[in-house]
Amino acid sequence: MNSPIPAIEIQNLAYSYGKAEAVHDLSLRVLPGRCYGLFGRNGAGKTTTMKCLLNLLRPQRGQVRVFGHDPAKAEVEVKRRLAYVPDQVAFYPWMSVRETLDYLASFREHWNRKKEEELFERFRLDPSKATGALSKGQRTQLALIAAICPETDMLVLDEPTSGLDPIVRREFIETVIGAYQEGNLGNRTILVSTHLITEFEGLIDEFTIMDQGVSVLSLEADEARQRYQRIRARFAQMPPELDFQSALRVRRDGREIELIVNGSGPELLERLRAHNPEALTTEALTLEEIFVAALKSEEPR
Amino acid sequence: MLFQINFKSGKPAYLQLVDQVKVAAASGTMRPGEALPSIRPLAEELHLNRNTIAKAYSELESQGVIETLPGKGSFLKENHSPLRKEIRRKLLIEEIDEAIVMAHHLQVPGAEFLDLIQVRMDALERKRRAHEDDKEKTK
Repeated sequence: MNSPIPAIEIQNLAYSYGKAEAVHDLSLRVLPGRCYGLFGRNGAGKTTTMKCLLNLLRPQRGQVRVFGHDPAKAEVEVKRRLAYVPDQVAFYPWMSVRETLDYLASFREHWNRKKEEELFERFRLDPSKATGALSKGQRTQLALIAAICPETDMLVLDEPTSGLDPIVRREFIETVIGAYQEGNLGNRTILVSTHLITEFEGLIDEFTIMDQGVSVLSLEADEARQRYQRIRARFAQMPPELDFQSALRVRRDGREIELIVNGSGPELLERLRAHNPEALTTEALTLEEIFVAALKSEEPR
Repeated sequence: MLFQINFKSGKPAYLQLVDQVKVAAASGTMRPGEALPSIRPLAEELHLNRNTIAKAYSELESQGVIETLPGKGSFLKENHSPLRKEIRRKLLIEEIDEAIVMAHHLQVPGAEFLDLIQVRMDALERKRRAHEDDKEKTK
């Protein structure tokens, strides 16, 4: 069986703003139907990467492909099949909500009116209000409606929930899951960049953690949670001196030891068990904790 | 059926869903013929990828635990006996493990713990027999 054409393929991408290198040798691949997370701190290069996919920036080195096309050469074909919610949402402030959606719909060959109504109801937006008078949360909701109604093959979200209140954030995620993923199940691809990882935990299939323009870690979310573990052990007496070289982090206090491990869990568990701990527990790290652990282990020890 | 996902368990979310349905079926929380939540509302509620839920349901279907009727939804199946024993055992093992941990905390040695289990089994058996004898007498 031939593997499907990746929804996104980035190879050795590099981009600099003057002397400041934003992305350095980044490669990643997103298969159709996946929800892919691009995690990184502010300034890690996430937005630059996304802009290269959308032909808002031209890669200076390497190449990007969206649905197998070069976005610079097949811009219309690429943009026809994706919708984008930028981190800074801007509309013409004098247009009403209704006019804005009609205007945006005029660029699309398909627009699901029923879905639009459903989302209007969910977000309780006033169609006659000028977009200039909307709150930040309402502007994001409007951008999300505009991104979902064309029912494109891919949704690109750049820091979609930062700066929003918790209720709006929850509604946002639920809308992406419910309204966007509906229909054509298994073929709607999502690329989301965020540093608010926790709320996307259940949505992410696979992710890349970026730092200073490079990929620090690329993994399937399930596999990551299996590899990254927190082990806690308590001993009856002071714990013996053990070799924890393979742990990412070691904390000790009195009779207790806590380890953060990447893949070496079974081996270290066995070592701890050999000394008959009173208590021994393991738990998976969440994606956010993995993010922190991955960035910390990058720093020189 | 109220599901709960714990990402710290390290178990993939779709497997957590699969296990929870199996446990609910084995313990009687869910009865045969009862409907499972449909994919979209469940995905929205749990903030899970719809594909994850779909994967869990198709796994349950291939194991014969549920059946999906097109346009109607997914339902717990009447008979999935090959799985039940395994699940019952699993439930029991959880309880046994808890008792073992308790025994450890109370410093009851392993051999004594095993003896106690035998003693309790005998005691309960005697009780059961006494009940039956009573029933015989009242007949």
